Amino acid sequence: MKFIRTKAVALFLLFFSISPSFAKTEIHWWYGNSGFLGDVIIEIAKRFNESQDDIVVIPTGKGSYEDNLSATIAAYRAGDHPHYTQVYDAGAAIMVAQVKNGVVIGFEEMGEKYGIDVNADNYIPQVKNFYADADGKMIGVPFNSSTCIMYANMDILKKVGVDVPTTYEEFEEIAQKIKDAGYIPLVQSHDPWIWTENFFSRHNLLMTDGNNGFDDVPTKTLFSETPEFITHWTKVKEWHDKGWYAYKGRGWGDNQAPFNAGEAAFWFGSSGSFGGIKDLPINFTTNQIPYWSSITGGKAYPTFIGGAANWILNGHTEEEYAALAKFIKFMGSPEMDLYYHNTTGYTVVTKGGGQLAETINFYRTSPYHKTAPEQLNLEGATIPGGYRAGNWPQIREVIYENFPKILTGELSVEEAMKRTDEGASKLLAQFAKTL
Amino acid sequence: MKKVQFKSKYTQYIFLAPTLIIISIFLYLPIVQTFRDAFTTQDAFGFGRFFAGWDNFKFVLSDPSYLVALKFTFIYIFVITVISCSLGLLLAVQANKVIHGKSAYKTLLIWPYAIAPAVVGVTAQYFFSERFGILYALFNSLWGFDWTANIFDAYIYLFIAGSWKQISANFIFFLAGLQTIQKSVIEASLIDCRSSLRRFWTITFPLLMPTTFFLVIINITYGFFDTFGIIDTTTIGAPSGETKTLVYKAYIDGFRGLDLGAAGAQSIIMMLLVLTITIIQFRYIERRIHYN
Repeated sequence: MKFIRTKAVALFLLFFSISPSFAKTEIHWWYGNSGFLGDVIIEIAKRFNESQDDIVVIPTGKGSYEDNLSATIAAYRAGDHPHYTQVYDAGAAIMVAQVKNGVVIGFEEMGEKYGIDVNADNYIPQVKNFYADADGKMIGVPFNSSTCIMYANMDILKKVGVDVPTTYEEFEEIAQKIKDAGYIPLVQSHDPWIWTENFFSRHNLLMTDGNNGFDDVPTKTLFSETPEFITHWTKVKEWHDKGWYAYKGRGWGDNQAPFNAGEAAFWFGSSGSFGGIKDLPINFTTNQIPYWSSITGGKAYPTFIGGAANWILNGHTEEEYAALAKFIKFMGSPEMDLYYHNTTGYTVVTKGGGQLAETINFYRTSPYHKTAPEQLNLEGATIPGGYRAGNWPQIREVIYENFPKILTGELSVEEAMKRTDEGASKLLAQFAKTL
Repeated sequence: MKKVQFKSKYTQYIFLAPTLIIISIFLYLPIVQTFRDAFTTQDAFGFGRFFAGWDNFKFVLSDPSYLVALKFTFIYIFVITVISCSLGLLLAVQANKVIHGKSAYKTLLIWPYAIAPAVVGVTAQYFFSERFGILYALFNSLWGFDWTANIFDAYIYLFIAGSWKQISANFIFFLAGLQTIQKSVIEASLIDCRSSLRRFWTITFPLLMPTTFFLVIINITYGFFDTFGIIDTTTIGAPSGETKTLVYKAYIDGFRGLDLGAAGAQSIIMMLLVLTITIIQFRYIERRIHYN
């Protein structure tokens, strides 16, 4: 008899431990971060799931940004797509173009329907503009937004007896000293993002026609038509020849490795790289990316954001979207924004997060986090806060196929730029056909 | 001779069905879809779709980096086939002679064949990493090896990685080929000729021709279709796109660039290339091969 009762109790418990999960609304969130950043995403979902009882967010990592975008598209075509997916900067044009096809639900539209206070002005301008459509309506939900910044190894600088440069002119003055001391003066991790796209934004120059694609569908990139850009890469080639700049292939990590090992004085990377290197035994600071004072007349302009946004995909139930709205609200809260900023080094995306940081004096204890938001909030830019160019992932490939040839001397700077422009024009035309 | 036949006309179809269904779903359907994509212009999600005629083919063939990939694919196939066939043959002949511990040698030599291409690439990375690679350090001290900047060095990186795996594949088939040669033929040749090298070239090698022919085709197919994993984990096309193969380029355009039209066109061009090469081989080379 006792045995039966135990069994009954066990069954009863089993029933109740299972049944609530049937009632919960499942939200699938796919992402393209791995390693440390992937862990943080899992942590965010966990915190949300623990904060309430009705909704379960299930994060699934698909590898890299590129992997996640192609996985999302394949899933969409098969009718088995997630509710929420992370798509990176270069894929923004592809996703924004999908609103009219009913694949993507715009952030503002979602907000109106499910009562999220979107208020585009609550986002810092560079973030707001990057994932908005031509009318300035926000489409992507801002998430991990970084920008390229300069990491400086202070031990090396101290040893050599020089300061952190703010302009490339200043860098040129100290580079030889660093090299003579036996260090690599400069490494950087991303030709297209750092030294192409963000060269243009940092110097307030247009990168494509059609006002960076915000006014008209772009037909060409302006690389070979921009003398400032040609000058910059002529300098880069010069630095490479002098041993002031070392290029380690196109791998992000391969270029970062000398900095991590304490062999390079400066590394241009993402502000989102901070979380991954903060515990390394090197004494470093974060600084704004340098600019040519001769080009801007001594003024610094904001860079574009990099990283990714989350996008809401169509084709699920009302109930699920209401649940997703709650999750979006949770993630957009100042506390979560600051939590993510603090853990990863990605910038705060909301003004609320920024204010919270001020209120609690966050930057006094973590001054290194301040670099990216400060750089992004610089004022006075006349170009749009992003670019809207299709097939951009492939245009980046064209850049990778031509720019390294400048360094090896196989192509002159002008010729490399011309070939890149030609390749890009074809790809832009190919994309324009599908609009 | 008594013929075995099914009583019903339809029974055989039931037995064929599982294979046919699997082949149709995983082979024929994708082929049809590839053809459809190749002649269509569409955006990443499949919208804005319209018939494009030969546009995608023109686009691909006018792309300078496609011609670079085409060139590299042929170089890669040629070098890998030569290296892995000759070393595979050498090892097979030697292993066939071994009397003690024969199976241990065989097992060790066959091992790399079981490794997935991507894992081969990652393993090669350990040897060619600038920071901790033994071969990188060795070659660098010899002639300033740097695969991120020098095309020839990047080639070497991939040739070593690629042939390492293929040697095992070739080894197995050559060894199996050697064992099918009748003992009596070998014994007869022993009486006629003292030079083992001459015996090999005049008796053993001609008898191995069917195997060699088969392996050449297998290696060509490998070079065309199976290089994705190895390139994606090693050079990613370094120094600047010169080490992309056709299949890798199709992947980049299709899955990174999300241009299914261009990727479809590339697949079809590749299919035609392989088809042509295979037909030539069967028509002109196979005739000279003697099957026993």
